[in-house]
Amino acid sequence: MNTIIKEQNGELIAIFDGRLDTAAAVQTEKDLAPLANCAGKNIVLDCNALDYISSSGLRLFLTILKNAKVQGSKVFIAGMNNDIRNVFSMTGFTQLFEFR
Amino acid sequence: MRKKLSKWKRSLQVRNGLLILILAAVLIQINSAVQYFFARNGIAQEVEQLAKTELKVKNMEILQVVKSVETAVNNMSWIIERQIDKPDSLYMIERLLVSQNNMLTGAFIGFVADYYPERGRWFEPYVKRYDDGTLIERQIGSENHDYLNAQWFLDGIAADSGYWSEPYLDNEGAEGMICSYTLPVHDADGKTIALIGVDISLNWLVDMFITKDNNKQSSVLVSRNGYILACPDKTLVMKTTINEITDQMNDTTVDRITNSMLQGDSGHAEVRNDRGEKSYIYYSPVEGGTGWSMAVVFADKEIYRGLHTVAFQLTLLMILGLALMSFIMYRAARGYMRLQTINAEKERIGSELRIASNIQMGMLPKTFPPYPDRDEVSMFGSLVSAKEVGGDLYDFYIRDEQLFFCIGDVSGKGVPASLVMAVTRSLFRMVSAHEYAPDKMIMQMNNAMSEMNESSMFVTLFVGVLNLRSGLLRYCNAGHCPVALMNKTVELLPVDANIPVGLMPDWKYSIQQTFLQPNDTIFLYTDGLTEAENLTHELFGEARMMKVLQTVSRSPQELIANVTDAIHAFVGNAEQSDDITLLAIQFNKYLNDTTKTNDIQTLTLPNNVETVPQLSSFIEDMAEKHGVDPSVIMNINLAIEEVVVNVMNYAYPKDIVGEVNITATYENRMLIFTIRDSGVPFDPTSATSPDIDLSVDERPIGGLGIFLVRQIMDEISYSYENNQNVLTLKKKI
Repeated sequence: MNTIIKEQNGELIAIFDGRLDTAAAVQTEKDLAPLANCAGKNIVLDCNALDYISSSGLRLFLTILKNAKVQGSKVFIAGMNNDIRNVFSMTGFTQLFEFR
Repeated sequence: MRKKLSKWKRSLQVRNGLLILILAAVLIQINSAVQYFFARNGIAQEVEQLAKTELKVKNMEILQVVKSVETAVNNMSWIIERQIDKPDSLYMIERLLVSQNNMLTGAFIGFVADYYPERGRWFEPYVKRYDDGTLIERQIGSENHDYLNAQWFLDGIAADSGYWSEPYLDNEGAEGMICSYTLPVHDADGKTIALIGVDISLNWLVDMFITKDNNKQSSVLVSRNGYILACPDKTLVMKTTINEITDQMNDTTVDRITNSMLQGDSGHAEVRNDRGEKSYIYYSPVEGGTGWSMAVVFADKEIYRGLHTVAFQLTLLMILGLALMSFIMYRAARGYMRLQTINAEKERIGSELRIASNIQMGMLPKTFPPYPDRDEVSMFGSLVSAKEVGGDLYDFYIRDEQLFFCIGDVSGKGVPASLVMAVTRSLFRMVSAHEYAPDKMIMQMNNAMSEMNESSMFVTLFVGVLNLRSGLLRYCNAGHCPVALMNKTVELLPVDANIPVGLMPDWKYSIQQTFLQPNDTIFLYTDGLTEAENLTHELFGEARMMKVLQTVSRSPQELIANVTDAIHAFVGNAEQSDDITLLAIQFNKYLNDTTKTNDIQTLTLPNNVETVPQLSSFIEDMAEKHGVDPSVIMNINLAIEEVVVNVMNYAYPKDIVGEVNITATYENRMLIFTIRDSGVPFDPTSATSPDIDLSVDERPIGGLGIFLVRQIMDEISYSYENNQNVLTLKKKI
């Protein structure tokens, strides 16, 4: 699991690549730290290369969302595959995030 | 052995050739011998005839002269008897005689001694013709020319009739060879008083015998005493007798002939000279009183020279013909042998190809039905190669209640394609032995084949895995023809555009899936079907195939037979240009699920979330093995991970190492997972579900785990047995 954060066009973009399972979640959480200070910038979670997500991963996504909302930033999810979207749907996450 | 045999064969052929040659030679030789024999006989007869004619003609010519001389002299003798008392008038008579007969060189009358006393003892009036034609008369009898004692006179008187003297050379030599004919002259009392005679030059004889002679024949004329009067060698004339010549020969036959000739006989004989050369002699006497005899000699060599020339030419021609014949035969034999070698080579390659073909066909499933005990699925395949060996392949087998199958077409044809085909088929068996996902199989095959692909050959390949429990068909298409799905309608399964196998390593192939319903049939084929050509080079085509598929049976064996018939009907007598492979698989019904597998998989992990990836691959293997839909696999994975991570995080006190044990099995169309731990007793099923309708602010971060498990799994049960938490999760598939 690889996570890259970059800033582009005034947005913070997190690119996920691989399986975001519980084991990977620990490192991913550290990788996502820069997003904590989003300060009104929109956040894009690029899930094009995300193969799998466990509930630990869902927790990370929710944490980002909660934090962003406090700072007045919006969080978008981009390129999520159907299987993961299905998990999002089961857990009601589809109603929380905005999708691109 | 082979070499020896071929050598033997070769020698046999050479012997046969020689035999034919010898036979031809013998036949030709017999033919020429017969011809030669008859020709020789003919020539011999002709020569005999020629000899007889020759002798007869010469005899006639000589006889004519002899007779005319005899007649002239006889006539004159009568006149002389009348004029006997007028000795001086005798010259006139002689003149008359000589002038009237060109043959005569002189005429004379030799009187017996003292017939005219007044004339002396000798009286011989003589008229001689000189070369210029003048006739000179004189009396030549004298003491010096004592004719009375000359042999001719003595013989003439003794004969008392016409007498031909032995030829002699004229005294003066100028006139050459002369012969005299004398006739006695009688007085009234009948007493012989004189001999009237004439001299005949015999030079004409020599000419007669020479002019007519040539190489082939020669003639000889001898006097009664054997003197040679005429023969080709002028120097012998009058110089020698035939006896003298023949005595030197030491040949009894010749001696006999000579004697026979001198006795006045006729006949013929064969003689050989010192050199062994054969000659034929024909002889006969000259008629009349001369006592001459003549012979014609034919040299065998000369008579048959023409024949021998012809025979020689014929022999030469025959040898040339035989040489030509043997040359042609040699060339033909060589050509034949070469042809035989080529044929043998061809045969060897052919037989090797047949073996190769058998090996190749042996790689394909060939017993139908392949699984007589199974009624969930039936299939039938057919592969017809355009050549002995081909590049098409298909394969199928059942493992873990899933049907693995593939169909492929190697680029190119013939032996190279067949080798790649064999490799492909082996690779398919190899990778499908431990892999369940068709895309992964193809990727492994692709990587293996791309690496060793130096001749840039590739395979279009379709690999499918049909779960007999669920009817889930997962497939990966690597550039192969689409597959037809046949139920009430016929349609082509959608296929992604993946490149053929063997072209590019690490190509990511995509997987696709569909669910087959009971009685659905899938029909797979290679492009040999759609590209089958008829005599007008029209292609069978996909449209025609789809049309045919509408009408055919759904039962694999019949389906293949129907399609095959349709191809034959379309193609007619056109030659098959490409391999045609057809494979039909019918999913009859779901596998009877009451059967319980003995297959129980177990995984034990420490209470460390770092080991979660092991869990994931354990679950994925298990699910794939049982043909679970990949999206469902992810969900199962998610659920199991939640409960296992829960155990890892909370069952044991912090810093205490504990274990979590997971077993997985399949039973009654369900995947059953059992998670055991020896930690503090905890029933996750008792946990309350989170409210998923809450807003972001209201949603707690945690609490999703057991909720997801409930959402995903079909059954959840918890028990505490033997100091262990036992959580059982079941998922229908």
